[in-house]
Amino acid sequence: MNKKVKSMVKQTEFYVLCIIIAFAVIIQIRSGQFLTSNNLMDLVRSMIVPGIYAICALLSFVSTGADVSFPLIAALSAYVSVVLGNKWNLGVVPIFLIAILLGCLIGCINGFFIVKYRFNSLIVTLGTSSICSGILFGTFEAGRTELPEKLYTVSKVNIATVKNSATGLGSALPSTFVIMVALYVIAYLVLNYTMIGRSVYALGGDEVSAQRAGIAVEKVRFGVFVVNGGIAAIAGLCYAMMSYFYMPNEYAGAEMLVIAAVILGGTRMTGGVGTLRGCLLGTFLLTMVSNSLILFGISVYWEKVVIGAIIIVGTAISAIQARNAGNPFAGKKKKEA
Amino acid sequence: MDKMMKMKKKSLPFDENVRRLFVILVVLLLVTGITKSTAFVNLGNFQSIGKQLTEYGLMSLGMGICMISGGIDLSTVYVANLSGICAGLIFQSSNTGAGVLAGCVVAILVGALCGAFNGMLISCFHIPPMLATLGSYELFMGISVVLSGGSTVSVNGEIELLSSLAILNIPLPFIIFLICTAVLAVIMGRTKFGSRTYLVGTSEKAARFAGIHVKATIIKCYLISGMLAGIAGLISLSRLNSAKADFGTSYTMQTILVAVLGGINPNGGAGKIPGIAFSVIILQVLSSYLNQFPAISNYYRDLIWGAALLLVLVFNVEISRRAAKKKA
Repeated sequence: MNKKVKSMVKQTEFYVLCIIIAFAVIIQIRSGQFLTSNNLMDLVRSMIVPGIYAICALLSFVSTGADVSFPLIAALSAYVSVVLGNKWNLGVVPIFLIAILLGCLIGCINGFFIVKYRFNSLIVTLGTSSICSGILFGTFEAGRTELPEKLYTVSKVNIATVKNSATGLGSALPSTFVIMVALYVIAYLVLNYTMIGRSVYALGGDEVSAQRAGIAVEKVRFGVFVVNGGIAAIAGLCYAMMSYFYMPNEYAGAEMLVIAAVILGGTRMTGGVGTLRGCLLGTFLLTMVSNSLILFGISVYWEKVVIGAIIIVGTAISAIQARNAGNPFAGKKKKEA
Repeated sequence: MDKMMKMKKKSLPFDENVRRLFVILVVLLLVTGITKSTAFVNLGNFQSIGKQLTEYGLMSLGMGICMISGGIDLSTVYVANLSGICAGLIFQSSNTGAGVLAGCVVAILVGALCGAFNGMLISCFHIPPMLATLGSYELFMGISVVLSGGSTVSVNGEIELLSSLAILNIPLPFIIFLICTAVLAVIMGRTKFGSRTYLVGTSEKAARFAGIHVKATIIKCYLISGMLAGIAGLISLSRLNSAKADFGTSYTMQTILVAVLGGINPNGGAGKIPGIAFSVIILQVLSSYLNQFPAISNYYRDLIWGAALLLVLVFNVEISRRAAKKKA
């Protein structure tokens, strides 16, 4: 028991949790509005899409390196599936399938260049995201698009609604929350209890050892980027569903904040280390900062300064920790995801 | 072997990759000249090409140096905006000659400070370069928002001269770009600092054991990148008469693209400064050429650049593979 507590205290996730609690307490004291049902609901609501993106970022960091293409993969595949859905009057499941398929296809391009030529994944994904944006805005001339009828009906379904009796403000939890939870459960099971999931970690920790241990390094890496494309596509559709419209200009630019959240959550850029728990906590922290600064009594102008400072301080702490530990891959962090 | 290299150097200027880029540029100019001669080959068009490329050209040079040292600088665009806003605020308060001069100095100083801050984060706190500059870009953007109150800082007056002046029909920004390129090419190719940077980029450990002050070298790299961004910020301030915290967000991607197209190895340790200059000019000529066709949407540029990036990467790998085979 004591050992467990000790190892927990050592983890980055623990510090993030402490910061979150500290923030929450201070906001609660200053405004009395943090622990209200609608504020919490809004927080959860606004972390759905970044939360799904965070899985993409986690997978790519743990196995290879940075992936910055997911917002535009999301935009492109969501657009195609929405347009096709409108055209053929498709149901919800086929729309999602089309999006996932397209996302996986673009993921294949990423995977191909990264695996075959061993290029830096940041550069390759920058290239593919540029191509995606060219196709989306140049070829398709995408604009604001209405959702297909069936998808629209589903997007209006809320699984829970609350109302703050003091302020009269209401908030609702959209059905996309279920998708996020399902994705996290699947990712957790796969990463921890299957051979493939463990291979992803092994590959990022030490590629040569992984190969010697009999892991098909290239296949796993390729697979990671294909899956990333699929997950990104789901996130893209979720985003459209939550805003009730497909808006192509809203997607680009999400990648940096998601990467920051994942890294804050204890994922190492050098590979092999990172947990889903950390992803959620990091995303929650950054969402909280950008949502609740007003409650904190700080002007919104300072939002970026605060977020930048949190990223720098957080990464500096974990970088120094890793250095002090001597070996960044040592320890118990790898065992769980 | 060494002698052969030296002989090669003497017979032809630049290295192989830069020569290839030069050939591409000439071919491109020929094609554009033949197919769109009236609209394309005139002084005004070339002047506007020279003006437009300066801002991201300067930032790409900075990005290139950081990449050579084994890092990356994602914050250049926001450093440029921050310097532009600082300079703009000074111009607003005093529009005399002294005020303009002070503004220019402050812009470059702010750039240098931001760059040094990045360098400190990377070398002293050992934060991976991508993360450090990711965090600092949020920070710099935030500071710009706070300073400008979230709105556009607009200026007018003598600062306009910086972008509108032309010497012998060559626009001043382009001359600044050429001077910066020349100075950096000398710094990276001929000085101790340059060769140290290449060594740090190839292997930081080896560089440390060779007695190189790795920390100072890295800080200097990012400081130079910051200063270049500061100059870019000034030029964009004078061209647009305004500066804004989130101006030119897409330039981040472009600068990386330009550096890689120019033959800089993103993993560090290889690449030449003149290559970056040529690739900037190629990209700008190409995109002005595409602008001549109204049917082609501006957004196709993204598509072409992304595809070009991947193709160039593959091409470089294939070329070096073939060269290795020849040697064997």
